[in-house]
Amino acid sequence: MLAQRQGMRGLVGKAGLKAAVPRPARMAAPARSRVAVQAKRECFMWEALREALDEEMEKDPAVCLIGEDVGHYGGSYKVSLGLHKKFGDLRVLDTPICENSFMGMGIGAAMTGLRPIIEGMNMGFLLLAFNQISNNAGMLHYTSGGQYKTPVVIRGPGGVGKQLGAEHSQRLESYFQSIPGVQLVACSTVHNSKALLKAAIRSDNPVVFFEHVLLYNVKGEVGGRDDVQCLEQAEVVREGTDISIFTYSRMRYVVMQAAAELEKKGYNPEVVDLISLKPFDMGTIAASVRKTRRVLIVEECMKTGGIGASLSAVISESLFDELDHQVLRLSSQDVPTAYAYELEAATIVQPSQVVQMVESAVGPRMALAA
Amino acid sequence: MILQPSSRLSIGFGIGLALRRQHSRPAEHVALQASRHDEATNISAPAKHSPQNSRVAHMNMANAVHSALEAAMELEPKSCVFGEDVAFGGVFRCTVGLQSRFGKNRCFNTPLSEQGIVGFGIGLAAMGWKAICEIQFADYIYPAFDQMVNEAAKYRYRSGGMYNVGGLTLRAPYGAVGHGGAYHSQSPESFFCHVPGLKVVIPSSPMEAKGLLLASIFEPDPVVFFEPKMMYRTSAEDVPTGSFTIPLGKARVISTGQDITLVGWGQQVVVLMEAAKLAKQEGVSCEIIDLRTLQPWDRETVIASVEKTGRLLVSHEAPLTGGFGAELVAEVTKKAFTSLLSPPVRVCGMDTPFPLVLESIYLPSALRVLEAIKSSVLY
Repeated sequence: MLAQRQGMRGLVGKAGLKAAVPRPARMAAPARSRVAVQAKRECFMWEALREALDEEMEKDPAVCLIGEDVGHYGGSYKVSLGLHKKFGDLRVLDTPICENSFMGMGIGAAMTGLRPIIEGMNMGFLLLAFNQISNNAGMLHYTSGGQYKTPVVIRGPGGVGKQLGAEHSQRLESYFQSIPGVQLVACSTVHNSKALLKAAIRSDNPVVFFEHVLLYNVKGEVGGRDDVQCLEQAEVVREGTDISIFTYSRMRYVVMQAAAELEKKGYNPEVVDLISLKPFDMGTIAASVRKTRRVLIVEECMKTGGIGASLSAVISESLFDELDHQVLRLSSQDVPTAYAYELEAATIVQPSQVVQMVESAVGPRMALAA
Repeated sequence: MILQPSSRLSIGFGIGLALRRQHSRPAEHVALQASRHDEATNISAPAKHSPQNSRVAHMNMANAVHSALEAAMELEPKSCVFGEDVAFGGVFRCTVGLQSRFGKNRCFNTPLSEQGIVGFGIGLAAMGWKAICEIQFADYIYPAFDQMVNEAAKYRYRSGGMYNVGGLTLRAPYGAVGHGGAYHSQSPESFFCHVPGLKVVIPSSPMEAKGLLLASIFEPDPVVFFEPKMMYRTSAEDVPTGSFTIPLGKARVISTGQDITLVGWGQQVVVLMEAAKLAKQEGVSCEIIDLRTLQPWDRETVIASVEKTGRLLVSHEAPLTGGFGAELVAEVTKKAFTSLLSPPVRVCGMDTPFPLVLESIYLPSALRVLEAIKSSVLY
């Protein structure tokens, strides 16, 4: 657009605006060579998230960060390391241990013009702030007839970690999904974590941004300052023909591990990372289901009433004729997460279970030659 | 199995509680008189019950809940009813006279702190009491959400069975009432269905309310009991004045049919009955199931019904996305996939906060259900 305008200026010459022959706008150097110049950068997911916060806070002075230990301590997972030195104690605000209060404070701040990012030290603690998220963040835009907006990003680590016990291994996607008025996004790779967090901060909707405790130290390629990803779009991780496996967050890696195993056995699964848990990217999902005609949903939240239940119901309702097989769900067991290692592993989905379920749904295939 | 097999109401429950009275149970005990303000249809079915030994009173749901609470407090001396404004009788008059009868130590007001109400109830229940807490409107249950999810639900599990809060019963009026708006009409049942360790129970008539509430109070697990506030005054039937329980985890088939299975709970059951009546005029025979207990729900009854009819329709007031209908559809579709003749359908509230003036458009009305029945049957 800018290049076009620059080109147009060239038209206003002696002939004025009514130049006889419009000259083509002067283009900047073609995009491809510019990208080639930038070296591929790799970093940890916590660094990528930190970069997203840093860049957005630099870009927009209204963006601020609120949470426990986000300031001087640098964040329990280092996501806000050093930011308080750069932006000050008010823009990177350390709060007391009162989730309900600082969530309310953040929502109030959003209503009056700021764009706060509110961190729950662990997603499970946000249960204490549930009233604020549900009755306020989710509703104010509606109940005020559009007069208020609440551009908050509610983020934090969730999911089952390594022996963190029942209260620190919660998955809240299901509860938030039942709240009309909030948008849910789950990041899974270094690249999409930064790109999605930037998009979430720029969005005017209240977004609940799910990170996973075990993914912070994943290393991968990260994008640049302007690399922003659509919040409502799913990612096709692996194209395939046998079955569509829908998953999100850490389960993406579990599924890809299973997919590697399945490939050796001659199967060709399609793996789609949902990214947007609410609303579902039905375009990508439907295209995948129409192609493979079988669906397996692999999720880390508990089975009853989970994300998988919602997605399964929507697929059965709207893509009934495209299905050759009932929609299958692999979810965590309906129990609080145990502390003991073996019990914890038994409550969440393992790659071998994914392999088994795909084999039973798709039927026998010829294994590839060794 | 179509109707509940019992032909008697069993009185007395729990351990060591004496039997009081025998009541004969009607073979088909549906008696619903419900009318909505905005719809003129009035469904009534006369209660059929045999007269021997039956002492009944004509009660609405508020009376029935009151009757259940009174019976529970009589039967169990270590029980308390507490919440906001319960001492004077409660905003829906469910606790009238309890304080004067049982004393201030057993029926009392709490401050305006839902987290405190439930936290206190958890503590009481952990010490072996029956703690019957009232949350004034289900819309206010969220401040207590952490207490329910992190404490009440996990108590038995994380103490290895040494402690439990089975004596906790959390009652809350829920659902649309015609003029409730965003904060007096919500249906949050699906949030609690996702929590392992809690039971979720929703009655659909005064008789159901009394029987299910008594069963919930004496259930050895914490129960969240949602009372459809619309039915406090608009539903009335003859209910035995003594104590009786209705088993949790068993659904009730209200009417049998061949063409489609309609599943609902609470006030929505009345809407399904209206829709079924309209559908019958068009030659469609509907089987209506009142789920009663959402967690754990009666899989056998629902799946057997869908295997018979081949079609499933689930209806609830809560918003579509993330509502409990999703779990029902997902599970039934998985188990009865090859029996399905048409896609399962959910007729639910819309994915917006609960409106005020647009309530009649928002709610899954009988006409919307009828349209879904027709499109399912004509698939």
